[in-house]
Amino acid sequence: MLRNLIRQELLSHLMSARFFAAVIITLLLVVANAVVLLEDYERRLMKYSQQENVHRQKAQEAKTYSMLNLSVERPPNPLSLFSAGLDKRLGSTFDIYYGRVPMISDGSARSLDNTFLNLFSKIDLVLIFQVVLSLMALLFAYDAIAGDWESGTLRLVISHPVRRGSILFAKYIGAMACLLLPVLMSLLMVMILLSSTGSIQLDGEDFLRIGGIILTTTIYLSAFYLIGLLISTTTRRTATSLMLCMFLWVALVLVYPNWSRFAITPVGNTRAIRSSADQQIQQIWEEVDREERLFLANSPLEGEPRKFNLDVQQSNSFSSAGHLSRRYGMDMKLGNQSDRLVPHVENYHATMGALYIRSAEQIALVRKQTLDSTSLRESIWYERLMKLSPASLYTFATAAWAGTDLEGMFDFVQAAQGYRRTVIDYFHDKDAFGSRQWFASDKGPVDWWDLPQFRFDRTDAWENATRALPELFLLLLINLVLFTVTFLIFTKIEV
Amino acid sequence: MIWHIIKRELFDHINSLRFMLTVVILSALMVTNAVVHLRAHQGRVRNYSKNVTESLDTLKSRTQLYTLAEKGPGNLHKRPSSLTFIADGGDAYLPTEIYREGSWSKSGPGWKAKSNWWLSYGSANPDAKDLRPQATKIDWVFIITYLLSFIPLLFTFDALSGERQQGTLRLCLANPISRPLLLIGKFLGTLITVLIPFVFAVLLNLAVISADNWTQLSAADWGRLGLILLIAASYAGIFVGLGLMVSAGTREPRVSLVVLLLIWVATVIFMPSTLGTLSTKWMPPVQTIDQFHASRDAALKQIDTDYNDRLNAIKEKKTPNLPNLSELQKLFETSPEAARAEAEKYRTAWETEGDEELALKAELVSRDVEIRERFNREYLDAQIAQVQRARVVTRFSPAAIVQYALESMAGTGFNRHLQYLERVHDYTKQFRQFIVETDRADTESRHLIGIREGMSEKPFSSEAIPKFEDKIAFSDTFNTATLDLLLLVLLLGIFFSGAFLIFVRSEV
Repeated sequence: MLRNLIRQELLSHLMSARFFAAVIITLLLVVANAVVLLEDYERRLMKYSQQENVHRQKAQEAKTYSMLNLSVERPPNPLSLFSAGLDKRLGSTFDIYYGRVPMISDGSARSLDNTFLNLFSKIDLVLIFQVVLSLMALLFAYDAIAGDWESGTLRLVISHPVRRGSILFAKYIGAMACLLLPVLMSLLMVMILLSSTGSIQLDGEDFLRIGGIILTTTIYLSAFYLIGLLISTTTRRTATSLMLCMFLWVALVLVYPNWSRFAITPVGNTRAIRSSADQQIQQIWEEVDREERLFLANSPLEGEPRKFNLDVQQSNSFSSAGHLSRRYGMDMKLGNQSDRLVPHVENYHATMGALYIRSAEQIALVRKQTLDSTSLRESIWYERLMKLSPASLYTFATAAWAGTDLEGMFDFVQAAQGYRRTVIDYFHDKDAFGSRQWFASDKGPVDWWDLPQFRFDRTDAWENATRALPELFLLLLINLVLFTVTFLIFTKIEV
Repeated sequence: MIWHIIKRELFDHINSLRFMLTVVILSALMVTNAVVHLRAHQGRVRNYSKNVTESLDTLKSRTQLYTLAEKGPGNLHKRPSSLTFIADGGDAYLPTEIYREGSWSKSGPGWKAKSNWWLSYGSANPDAKDLRPQATKIDWVFIITYLLSFIPLLFTFDALSGERQQGTLRLCLANPISRPLLLIGKFLGTLITVLIPFVFAVLLNLAVISADNWTQLSAADWGRLGLILLIAASYAGIFVGLGLMVSAGTREPRVSLVVLLLIWVATVIFMPSTLGTLSTKWMPPVQTIDQFHASRDAALKQIDTDYNDRLNAIKEKKTPNLPNLSELQKLFETSPEAARAEAEKYRTAWETEGDEELALKAELVSRDVEIRERFNREYLDAQIAQVQRARVVTRFSPAAIVQYALESMAGTGFNRHLQYLERVHDYTKQFRQFIVETDRADTESRHLIGIREGMSEKPFSSEAIPKFEDKIAFSDTFNTATLDLLLLVLLLGIFFSGAFLIFVRSEV
């Protein structure tokens, strides 16, 4: 009997004009946008490899250790096609320097040619499912019970020896199958497109992640279908049920996510936290200055730091003193008269190197605390607020699957921080800080052949799954509650 | 008769659930918009007036004509529009730093040159550091483009197909009433029903906003508000027309609803962003920032070497009969006194700057500024051209048309930025003109602009320096919005006549 019911539901949906329209419009939107997004991804990939080359060249150009200018670039995530998340937005170039620990807010977007184009909002494939298919789910559901009730077919069906739960279940299965069909069809189209261009290389893990996105889509659509079913069961009038569904959709998908972001300021004024952090950082620098003075007092070096009383015949140098880091680099050609002083200068730079590394780590600690209690806290709060809408739950869950969420961005920053430590270790191995090649290349420039290369691998799919789990769980919970309530009401109503 | 139809439509709608829900959602959004605006606007206005007084003070403190030429007018601030609550216009993405204080100094034996200021335009990319989830601002543009298109569809999808199904349409047409009249009646009835809650919400919004002292709405602002309401009404009219068109063409209201909603999703939600991204595909690519820097630096290097060559030529012309170094050494061995005198002559020849050298230096400084500004301008123009083309393409969607029209009317967004840039260019011309003229008035000056030695040292009245004041002129905003207004009216006509044609030819 259940199978009959399901088949009947499925057939009536499949033959309907709305199913046909849903499939056509989803496919059209997905294909059109996939072409655009693919093009966009290719451009970003090209830009990435250009930037990589520039970084590599810059690193090789340095003749002394102190002149080393290292940067790393975050590769575009191929799954940003599905869920753009923060992948296209956050700065992707990070400077790697022993005197500064890279933080998430340090990324710069140097690779952007026309920032005005940010005026146009960005889209991804998940947005199409989020908007179009949730609307379709409600359109499938609003008359599921109410329509049958109005036309009297519900009474007819119930007069057969069939449980009410089975009727509900059959309707659910039939509609979900019809909703998933356009999802799978459009994904198939995307896969065909991807394989025809060849610029995106997806591995097995990526297919697992895409599977996760499909699973999330299913649960999300089911939540919207159940919302519609609940409204349909309680109102029992198609006209009322339809209007409630439509306005609820506007509220949940269109209005609430944007509304909560602008109407509510979850974290109060953070100016005090920031200024106290600034003071702490100031103190760290004062400490550095004190130790530098102490060192110089016990050393025969005199005069302006770094040039001292050396016999400099030629020099090429830069220095910058910011609030967060100080940086200097030099390449000098020394006369014979300074030979006596060279060991002391080497000593000086070794001390300063150690000092800068230490201060960088201290500052990073302060900055991390500040970040955690200001902008990071704020963004986490916004996410929490937005998660009151299933539409936002879906956005965040898919971003977690794709690795374009906040965590995914932190993964890269962590890799960059790890790379900084590797470079420091490399410097220590070479005894770079205390060597003549730190500040002078007159005895031969540094050979960078064994400079460690940066590598970034995205986390495995399992990690993505655990990150998406809280949102998935919440979506499932919404489903469960909605289904139970609908079931209870449906078994109680008079037909 | 037509009044009967309109009245009946109105009463039908006003008693319905959808009308109530429309009132609730529109009012909630409009009140939110007003409250958020009040919270942010005060700071914006305060910041602007603080910045303006600061830069005026620094301008007044510059009593020397040379400092004025070297440091320039300081950053030129863009006045925040009092109507930002209507259209945010992505102002965060439009750069505010357009002035750059000179940053180089060059020197050689006996000469020193310092750069003057230039216009740099900068770029703004707040996204690069923003960890918060992305969202669209709830301004009037959001409310109008999304809701004033969605709601008319909910009111019209069953207007004809529903009545046809029930048979009331046949009944209605049995009366001595023409089909066009019925359609016009339905059109106006629905449009008025949609506009009632909208106007109500707008009044709520304005009531909250005008209670605040920081947002002063002038008479011109009220005029613009009137036009904005007109734009909103014609936009809603387009979708009423679309709804009637599809409704007239289908037999079942369920089908017409699905078709309408899918058209809506495609045109209102996806088309503006998809077309925006798509259009960049066929555009001539803007130079990358690295290419831009490389070509500009090459040009700067060219004037630098040119300067050095010409300076050397002048110096060598001045010191033709000086002995060369080996002769000097020989002379030194015979009579150190004479050699020292010769060397001194040689040194003074190189180290004193005559008129020729100063003119050359002034030329270096001014050409540097000119090249930088030319390159920056070209880069900016290429970027602007890209955006303009993308905007033309996105105008296929009525939502984008309304967005651009509202931005122009509210004095925010891209067009406003372009007007501001134009004002900046006019002003800088005026500013530089002022320096040249003040200098010309002094007969003792060498009239070499841009270097200390070449300019007038006479005091001048700080009141006479031209001051930059940004204005939002109604005529400018109206001119840029005209195209969008025309397009909207055209679309309204197309959809209404489409509905008319389909309805007249359809069977009841």
